[in-house]
Amino acid sequence: MYQLIAMYATVFFVFLLALAFAFVYGESKRSGEYSAIQEKGYKIRKFYFLGLIAIMAFATIMTLGRLPYDRNQAEAEGFSETKVVKVTGIQYAWEMSEERFEVGDTVQFDVTASDVTHGFGLYNEKMELVAQTQAMPEYTNTVYYTFEEPGTYQILCLEYCSTGHHVMVKKIVVEPEGGSSDE
Amino acid sequence: MNDAIHPLARKAVIWHLAVTALVLILMMIFGVIMLMNQGEMISITPQWFYKIMTAHGTGMVGIAALGGTAILWYFLSKYVKLNPAILIVNFVLFLTGVTMVLIAIFVFDFSDGWTFLYPLPAQSAKMYGAAGAVFFLSGMLILGIGFLLLYMYLAARLTAVYGGIGKALGWDIIFRGKKGYGPPAAVVATAMVIITNSTALLAGATVLAASLVNIMNPAITIDPLLAKHLTYAFGHIFANCTIYMAVIAVYEVLSEYTKRPWKANKVFLIAWNCSTLFTLMIYTHHLLMDFAVPKWMLIIGQVFSYANGLPVMVVTAYGALMIVYRSRMKWDFASSLFFLSMFGWVAGAIPAIIDATIVVNHVMHNTKWVPGHFHTYMGMGVVAMIIGFMYYFNKTEGNQQHRGIDTFTITLYFAFFTGLVGSFLYAGGISAPRRWAEHLPQWVLSDQVGAVSGIFIVLAAIIFTARFFAGLRSVGTKVPYHKKSAAG
Ligand SMILES: [Cu+2]
Repeated sequence: MYQLIAMYATVFFVFLLALAFAFVYGESKRSGEYSAIQEKGYKIRKFYFLGLIAIMAFATIMTLGRLPYDRNQAEAEGFSETKVVKVTGIQYAWEMSEERFEVGDTVQFDVTASDVTHGFGLYNEKMELVAQTQAMPEYTNTVYYTFEEPGTYQILCLEYCSTGHHVMVKKIVVEPEGGSSDE
Repeated sequence: MNDAIHPLARKAVIWHLAVTALVLILMMIFGVIMLMNQGEMISITPQWFYKIMTAHGTGMVGIAALGGTAILWYFLSKYVKLNPAILIVNFVLFLTGVTMVLIAIFVFDFSDGWTFLYPLPAQSAKMYGAAGAVFFLSGMLILGIGFLLLYMYLAARLTAVYGGIGKALGWDIIFRGKKGYGPPAAVVATAMVIITNSTALLAGATVLAASLVNIMNPAITIDPLLAKHLTYAFGHIFANCTIYMAVIAVYEVLSEYTKRPWKANKVFLIAWNCSTLFTLMIYTHHLLMDFAVPKWMLIIGQVFSYANGLPVMVVTAYGALMIVYRSRMKWDFASSLFFLSMFGWVAGAIPAIIDATIVVNHVMHNTKWVPGHFHTYMGMGVVAMIIGFMYYFNKTEGNQQHRGIDTFTITLYFAFFTGLVGSFLYAGGISAPRRWAEHLPQWVLSDQVGAVSGIFIVLAAIIFTARFFAGLRSVGTKVPYHKKSAAG
């Protein structure tokens, strides 16, 4: 979802920007007195500045409440209790304390690395990136994710970790709710 | 022609630009090779891919800094008398550093990326031998020392002429209510870059030296998170500052072409002071996914990354629009590229600001979205400024004329650059990771679009460069140093 918003927002703002540049280019062929242009320009700039501040303030307020690593947030959203899973990145594999999940599971991934820094990127079946954190030696980064759809998920390494970086992929399976018979 | 610049410095500026132009083409070709490999149009080994990636990243930031330095020196010479020896020392140290980096990559197989996250260089030193890592890290260190010396010297000169770095940044106008205008834009920008880049280089020197010590004696370790802070404080600020050096050309040349002064009024000075402060702080947006970093620091990363866009969007780019508006300016190679470079800078800031939003960063960090945004402001911003300056230099110091082919090349460059960054941003939008030697089938199409765009960008760059070298032949044939002539 955020990917789509980001793409549309970029296209929209870049388009506006291109319009402004094209307009000024068109007007550059005429002549005008600079002090008058400056006076008017500074007036417009005041509104433009306040407009930008307003957009940024709005985006800040809307987004800072939804930090992806907020435990309270995760607990408020989670339906069941949180499953704690230890994840360790090592050139070039992911080790996990648990690899089988069910739809509805809220998982707390405690991510670290045993050699160099890696990037924990959780992809859903459609290969959309749904959650990530850094996997750094000596530190544990915690990220929460609630599985809402069944399927094969993959963990891709997203921080360059030397020549096997792109083979550092692990598949995990998320079963439908109550779907696996042996539990 | 710039009569104030020392003839030796003028020569050194030419060397800077010539090296920049040639390295730029080579690095672009490296970029195309990577995209063609990801797009399954050619096949190279992952080891080679990552070596080329390391060279491309290090080389591009390096030459952007080199080109930016030439611009800064050339225009600052108009206002402050400068000793060309320092520029030449920096150039020699730069070439030495670059040679060592190239030896590291292509002789000793170093491929840890230009971000060399600790303990990666030490880890790969164990596997592939220490020589590669040692050459790379020391090469970067030598290159950094060259720039640090340059900034120390410039700081001393600005202090002698303007009474301090603070005054060069207009503090007496902002804080003490002094009336009138501040120093010329070139001086203000130089003061900003001295502060930010010296900080960056000291952070860089610390982590480079610590990594070297760690490789020599593994018992001495660094905290990986601290090392990452230092690496990004170095890399992000240094890469960022290339545009703050290059933009000096935009101020100087657009005001010359439009015959309208671009004076450092109070708002201008406040904007540059904000940029100074924010540029130092916002590298933290590289650590938004390191949740071990204190929350307040990550929030700073988001809020100030937003704020850092404002001085550019509201003062510099807006100022460029205002100065061009109804100016009857002559559109030639230089003015077109400087105008377009302001577009490229702001256009690149937009996806950057969006990505600095933590919730967005959570699903886009380290995807191709990131190279998407910095290729926009590096390629269509910094590099456009440097190429524009190459033409301006030849025109002012020689007799280069705008031709039809220049209009064609500019169009070619910007059209295909839009294709390139569009393909990157799109790939980021569909979650394609950055820095992957091989791509999944669903990402390949975007790589192919990028590769084809890249080929045309290389073509444009080759024409730009050929024009630059052809134009150089007339440089210096005009008037001797210190003698004004009516032809000026
Ligand atoms: Cu990895």
